[in-house]
Amino acid sequence: MTKLPKCDEKKLGLLIDLDTCVGCHGCVVSCKEWNSSGSDKQLSDINSHRRDPVGTFLNRVHSYERENCNTNETEPFYFPRSCLHCEDAPCVTVCPTGASYKREEDGIVLVNEDDCMGCGLCAWACPYGARELDLVSGVMKKCTLCVDRIYNEELPPEDRVPVCVKSCPTGARAFGDFNDPNSDVSKKVKERGGVDLMPEMQTKPVNKYLLPRIKSKNSAVSSGSGVEEETNAKGLLGWVDRALSKL
Amino acid sequence: MHPAPSIILFTVLSGFGFGLISITGLLQFFNQISIFDLITFSILGIIFSTVGLVSSFFHLANKKNAIKSMSQWQTSWLSREAISSIFCLLLVSANIAWVFLQNMYINEVGIVLFFLALFTIFTTSMIYAQLKTVPSWNNIFTPAIFIFAALSGGAILLTSYASLVTLLVFGTLQILFWYTADRGFKDKETSVGTALGFDANEEIRPFDAAHTNQNYLLNEMVYKVGRKHSIKLRYISFFTAFVFPMSLILVFPGEFSISILAILFHFVGVYFSRWLFFAEAKHSVSFYYE
Repeated sequence: MTKLPKCDEKKLGLLIDLDTCVGCHGCVVSCKEWNSSGSDKQLSDINSHRRDPVGTFLNRVHSYERENCNTNETEPFYFPRSCLHCEDAPCVTVCPTGASYKREEDGIVLVNEDDCMGCGLCAWACPYGARELDLVSGVMKKCTLCVDRIYNEELPPEDRVPVCVKSCPTGARAFGDFNDPNSDVSKKVKERGGVDLMPEMQTKPVNKYLLPRIKSKNSAVSSGSGVEEETNAKGLLGWVDRALSKL
Repeated sequence: MHPAPSIILFTVLSGFGFGLISITGLLQFFNQISIFDLITFSILGIIFSTVGLVSSFFHLANKKNAIKSMSQWQTSWLSREAISSIFCLLLVSANIAWVFLQNMYINEVGIVLFFLALFTIFTTSMIYAQLKTVPSWNNIFTPAIFIFAALSGGAILLTSYASLVTLLVFGTLQILFWYTADRGFKDKETSVGTALGFDANEEIRPFDAAHTNQNYLLNEMVYKVGRKHSIKLRYISFFTAFVFPMSLILVFPGEFSISILAILFHFVGVYFSRWLFFAEAKHSVSFYYE
C-alpha cells in the first residue's frame, strides 16, 4: 500500500500565486473550519481560549520580505504552505502501517486514520512540514485537497473545489489537473513559470508556486496626489464638483 | 530534532540488547562460550532489546495500531525493523530453549543470530539514515555508529581484548560521524531560497510568524535547546563511551567486575552521543522559520 502508484491519468493539485496573495490567512481559517465540521475527524486545539493555544492546521501562511533589486526597497510577500501531493512522496514510503497512501486515480496523498499509529515518521520525512500530528486524536493530519468536496455531488458544481481555493478573496489559489496541458493551472504554470519548492529533495511536488514578480521602478505607484486632478468627474459627483467650484 | 527520551532509550537499549545477542551468536558459532554464559547473555539481550522496544511503543500517539507496523516491509524501514526484531527475539528464545533442554548448542544457529541481530540494528539506523530531510543523518556513518555502538556493548561484557577493537572502531566512526554531521546543509542546495521556490542564495527574511505560538512542527523538528553545550557534551560522550572503558579494559583485562563498570561508562557515553544525534540534527522545515 505504501508503494507509490504511477499517476498517469490525473495529477490534482494547487497553483499558488505569491504575487497575488495578501497574507489574510483566509485559507487557513476556512481550511480549519471545513476540516473540523461535519465529521468526527477534527483538527484539534488545546487551550484555544487560554494562554499558549496550540492546534493542528493543514495550511499555514508565512510572511517574508526581500530586497527589490530595481527599487532598493524591501517588499513583503506571503507564502501559504501546505501538502504539495508529491509524485515521489517520501511520507508515504516510510509509513510502517500502510496508513499513508497516494491515490492512483488522482494523485492525492491521504492518511487512513484508522491505520495510523502516530509514530510521526512521515512528518520527519516530509521536507515541507506539511504533516502535523494531532495531539488529541493521536493520528497524523494533512491536507486532503478537500477530497470530500471536489467529488461531492451534494454540493453545487461551482463549490466542488478545495475550500482554500473557494475562500481566497484575491484568487491567489487555483485548483486543477497538472497532468492535463490544457487545464487552466497548466497554462498558467507555462505562461508565468511555475516553480517547485525544494526541487533538490527530489519529491516532484504536484503543487506549483508562482513567484512574486519584481516590480520595476516605473510600476511603483506615483506618490503625487491624484485627488486634485480629478476634475472631469461625471454624473452626480461631477455635478457636485462643478456646483461647488462655482461658489 | 526533538531528542525524545523514549526514542533515545529505544535506540540505545535495543541496540545494546541486539548487540549482546549478536556477539553471543558469534561466540556460539566459534564454540567460544559456555552454556551458562550463552543462556545468561541471551536472556540479558532479550531483556534489554524488549525494554527498548517497549520504550519505543510509548512514543506512539495511537498505540492501538502498533501491530499494523509489521505490514509495510516492502517500503518502510520502520516496518522492517519491527519484523526483524520480532524474528530475532523468537529465534534467540528458541535457541535458549534448545540449549537448556539439550545441554548443547548448534554452532550454525549462532551465525544466523549474529547476522539477524546485526540486520535488526541496521534497520533501526536506517529509519534515520533514510531521511533526506535531515542531512546530518542521511549518510553512511549513521548505520555505522549504530552497529558499532551495539557491538561494543556486547563485546565489553563478553570478550576481553576484542572489545578494544570494536571500541576503537566505534570511536573512530563516531568522530567521522560528527565531522560529516556538522556539514549538515552546507553541502546541500537547500536554503530558505529553495524552500520558497527561489534560487538557493536569494536573500529572504521572515517578518512575521505564521502562528502566534508553538506548534507540532516547531516542537518536533525545529528543536534548538541545548545546542550551545553540544561541544562539551561531545567531550563527555567521547570520554565516557570510549576512553574510560578502553583504559579500564587495558589496565584490568579479563576482570568481569571491571567489565560491568566499563559497560556502565560506555552506556552513559552512548546515551549522550544519541541525545546529540537528535538534538543537533537540523530538519529542512526549519528553513521556513529562519
